[in-house]
Amino acid sequence: MDMLLQFVANGLVSGAFYALSALGLTLIFGLMRVVNFAHGELYMLGGVMGWLATTVLGLNFFAGLALTLAVMGACGWLVDRFLIERVRDQGEEPSILLTIGLSIFLTNTALLLVGTAPLTIEGPLPNKPVFLGPVVLTELRVFAVAACAVLILAAHLVIRHTRLGRAMRATFQDPMAARLAGINTARVYASTFALGTMLAASAGMLLGSIYSTHVSAGGVVSLKAFVVVILGGMGSFAGAIVGGLLLGVAEALWGGYISTGTVDIIGFIIVILTLIFKPYGLFSTQVERA
Amino acid sequence: MRKLILAPIIATALMASTQASAQDTLKIGLIQPLTGSVAYNGTADANGARLAVKERNANGGVLGKQVELIIEDGQCSPANSVNAAEKLIQRDKVVALVGAFCSSATSAVMPVAGKYKTPFLTGVSSEASLTEKGNPYFFRSAETDALLGKAFSRLIVDNLGLKKVAYIGVNDDWGRGSAKAFEQELSSHGVETALIEYFNHGATDFYTLLTKLRGSGADGVFVAAETQDGSTLVKQIKQFGIDMDVFGVGSWATSDFIKITGDAAEGIYAAVPYVSNLPGERNERFVKEYSAAYDHAPGKYAAAGYNSMNIMMDAIDRAGDTDAQAIVDGLHATDYEAPNGRYRFTEKGQGYGFEAALVQIQDGHTEVVATTRIANPEADSGGQ
Repeated sequence: MDMLLQFVANGLVSGAFYALSALGLTLIFGLMRVVNFAHGELYMLGGVMGWLATTVLGLNFFAGLALTLAVMGACGWLVDRFLIERVRDQGEEPSILLTIGLSIFLTNTALLLVGTAPLTIEGPLPNKPVFLGPVVLTELRVFAVAACAVLILAAHLVIRHTRLGRAMRATFQDPMAARLAGINTARVYASTFALGTMLAASAGMLLGSIYSTHVSAGGVVSLKAFVVVILGGMGSFAGAIVGGLLLGVAEALWGGYISTGTVDIIGFIIVILTLIFKPYGLFSTQVERA
Repeated sequence: MRKLILAPIIATALMASTQASAQDTLKIGLIQPLTGSVAYNGTADANGARLAVKERNANGGVLGKQVELIIEDGQCSPANSVNAAEKLIQRDKVVALVGAFCSSATSAVMPVAGKYKTPFLTGVSSEASLTEKGNPYFFRSAETDALLGKAFSRLIVDNLGLKKVAYIGVNDDWGRGSAKAFEQELSSHGVETALIEYFNHGATDFYTLLTKLRGSGADGVFVAAETQDGSTLVKQIKQFGIDMDVFGVGSWATSDFIKITGDAAEGIYAAVPYVSNLPGERNERFVKEYSAAYDHAPGKYAAAGYNSMNIMMDAIDRAGDTDAQAIVDGLHATDYEAPNGRYRFTEKGQGYGFEAALVQIQDGHTEVVATTRIANPEADSGGQ
């Protein structure tokens, strides 16, 4: 019983991280119809930026996070205006090729600049154990889960309750009508990509403080994010959260009771079952996107 | 992707050989993981190999030619390593191959080396069955999991006094092989097995595994992991409040491991074939040259890259020719004085004769607890 509680706790923690990592991907897909294969690399860059800000520039964690968000948001904006803009409205394949190319470029640029060494980001709290009954967590993990919740809530509020958010949703529903109504859709797309990039980067920095990060971290993250997004429904906000938590708990239970060596199989089983029985994912009501 | 990484390397290699025209260089191919979760270790190996080539070229090269080292990224994956081998052999026309790092990748490259009759030496891959496959072009200048397990189990039982041990390894041929080999050897010394579990390359969260470990009642845990995964795992063992003797194989006793693991590294034991504070003049010289070139002391993989490249270049020199069979004969005649003892090869191409050390991390440094020699496996066990 104690073991079960610990497994579920572990699963919920990593599930919250999966949810945050997947959110940017689902947002960009839902609003822009761009399958962003560079998502994991944007996550990695967030970690590297966070490391630069805290270790090289000597900022504290929160100042570092703010700086990372600002820089990565700007990067996302520029990527959209200078790269994705060129393949907009040409179907999905050109943007897939473009983002795959971008992911290779980003990994190797980071490799040239910071090398292969694992990078540790100093967290805002110590990694001391916290005991909740039979369950062990660390202060930093509790903090990270809370930070995930705050970031997810913030993104939700931006999309639901701001002018920019309304413009985003209008553009998604009908770009032509949105343009006729006077919405500058080019700016909306760039803002969406910037927001998705900031979510990925914040996940990268937050998780870099708990584990450690390195320039090749992006691949695994992309893989898990795609599992979460397919399970939850492409473009669904609630789906990303539920999908992330489900994947985290499923992996923890599989690892706990079957074997940790084969734990990655569970993600693929989930993808296959989802595609067979509910190909649009758990939460894909066409209206409720984003 | 590869081009981008390799451009500066190739450029340097070409610059080093400006006097000699392209046909005059002797090409050796090196396959290492330069990206992915063991990239850090693969890069260290490549750095060691580069140093060996630089030294050799400064002393006149091999067979009167400058050696040109062509490095490809195998990513520790069988598919990418095979592609790299095909490219090196077919397009670059290398006379010999070194590398592949991960046992699974090396195992996939072996048939390619066999098909094109290209001598192939690994300085790292330690999964025992590689040298049992009867590939005459394959050699290994590294300990096998079984040899390391045999050499160290006595030392571990005597020095740590463990009764019940849990085994955790990375989920590939090397990790599984190491966990199995140590489990076998320690069992034969009366140590109970608490659990055997594996995790995937690049895994970041070990809490599920550690929950099981905590409930297993072990008093020691054996870990087979490389710097990145190992560091994350060890940190989480300490966070989780588990107080057990931790010992392992992989790239543990390096300054980088200690740097990224911090206090959590204190007290850990590592069974390593090389550590930079091994005694001996030959090692001092290597450490000095390596430190001058890369600003930090060499670790296990830097030494492996350095040794394997030197062994291959010696063999080609001894062959007097770039003919594959002559190089293979040259490799069989190896008696190479390395920073960590003398390397020789058995009939099957398995290296032996070099030293290995049990070290403990104390106050941020590695202290050599004991050393032992990797014995000729065919001498006492009839070549299993």
